[in-house]
Amino acid sequence: MMSVRQALLILLAALVPAGLSALVHPHRPPWSEETLAPGEEKLKTVLTWGSAVLWVDARSQLEYEAEHVPGSLLLNLEAWDSLFPRFLDQWSPGRKIVVYCSSRSCEMSHEVAARLEQNGISPVYVLKGGWEEWKAARTAN
Amino acid sequence: MRTPVFILFFSLFACSAYGQLVFDQPEQSFKARPEQEMIIAKYRFTNAGKELVKIENVQTSCGCTTAGLKKTEYAPGESGEIEAKFSFAGRIGKQEKAIRVTTSQAREQPTILRLLVDIEDPVKIQPELVFWRVGERPNTKKIQITVADNASLKILSVASDNPSIKAQLSEVKPGKEYEIEITPTDLSQPAGATFLIRTDYPTQNPRTRYAYARVK
Repeated sequence: MMSVRQALLILLAALVPAGLSALVHPHRPPWSEETLAPGEEKLKTVLTWGSAVLWVDARSQLEYEAEHVPGSLLLNLEAWDSLFPRFLDQWSPGRKIVVYCSSRSCEMSHEVAARLEQNGISPVYVLKGGWEEWKAARTAN
Repeated sequence: MRTPVFILFFSLFACSAYGQLVFDQPEQSFKARPEQEMIIAKYRFTNAGKELVKIENVQTSCGCTTAGLKKTEYAPGESGEIEAKFSFAGRIGKQEKAIRVTTSQAREQPTILRLLVDIEDPVKIQPELVFWRVGERPNTKKIQITVADNASLKILSVASDNPSIKAQLSEVKPGKEYEIEITPTDLSQPAGATFLIRTDYPTQNPRTRYAYARVK
């Protein structure tokens, strides 16, 4: 009887933190397959494209200078006139473009992607989960 | 048996007692008219931790934005405010400014405040880019310029910085719609051009707009 009680207590001790982790852990796995908004693509898929991708960082210059995806180009709406020509120098028709931003509060990646598409540039994708997703994947590897 | 369970729970919740600033609205959005000169945003915060928090640095993402604090140290439960002033200096369209706040308690994890300002753009250029592939036939492509109904301005001229890609401006609907015809003379090799579109708006400091051509 004593050993059953102890086993139950151990199970409870394991279940409580596991439950809390499942509810609040910032990198918890999804309960179901994530849905993608129009134009979004998952990091797992993007990584299979290799060097064919032209990465575009739609965050602020301050955030870009602090850290960014290697080889990515800074392109945001606030400095569009100065950044767009540099983007055009690297771009070639048909090359896949992946735009990312900060997933916490920034919609700029969708707006930059839309503006590129309005100019006939395609295909353009927005990275699901943004910069944080890329950084978490890099940390995990 | 109780001791390990207690230690486990204690370790799970210990991190919440860490000194930290909690901002009411870390992201703020505004709409502005192009003739407006600046906008001021106030970011109110509270020290929700149990230790004194010292704000060591408040850094803005561009020289056009300044951020100020009345003092740098905040006791537990104490509130304060960071005032950010964004001077437009001729900027238009969607602007996003970041303000990085570093505290003594979290030097490696600064808080990023965001200031989003949509400055109404009275001129729409569509598309901003025309392109041809190398070896293609050099046909003419068009760029449309539309002036917003509530704006009074003129497109004065268009100039190409590359003589082999010519730009011709015409007025379709007086003061409201314009068209630029872009004609390359040689598509045998990669080339590019930037078109400088001069306007008479705003009156004090008229803006030049841009469009682009590429041969890839």
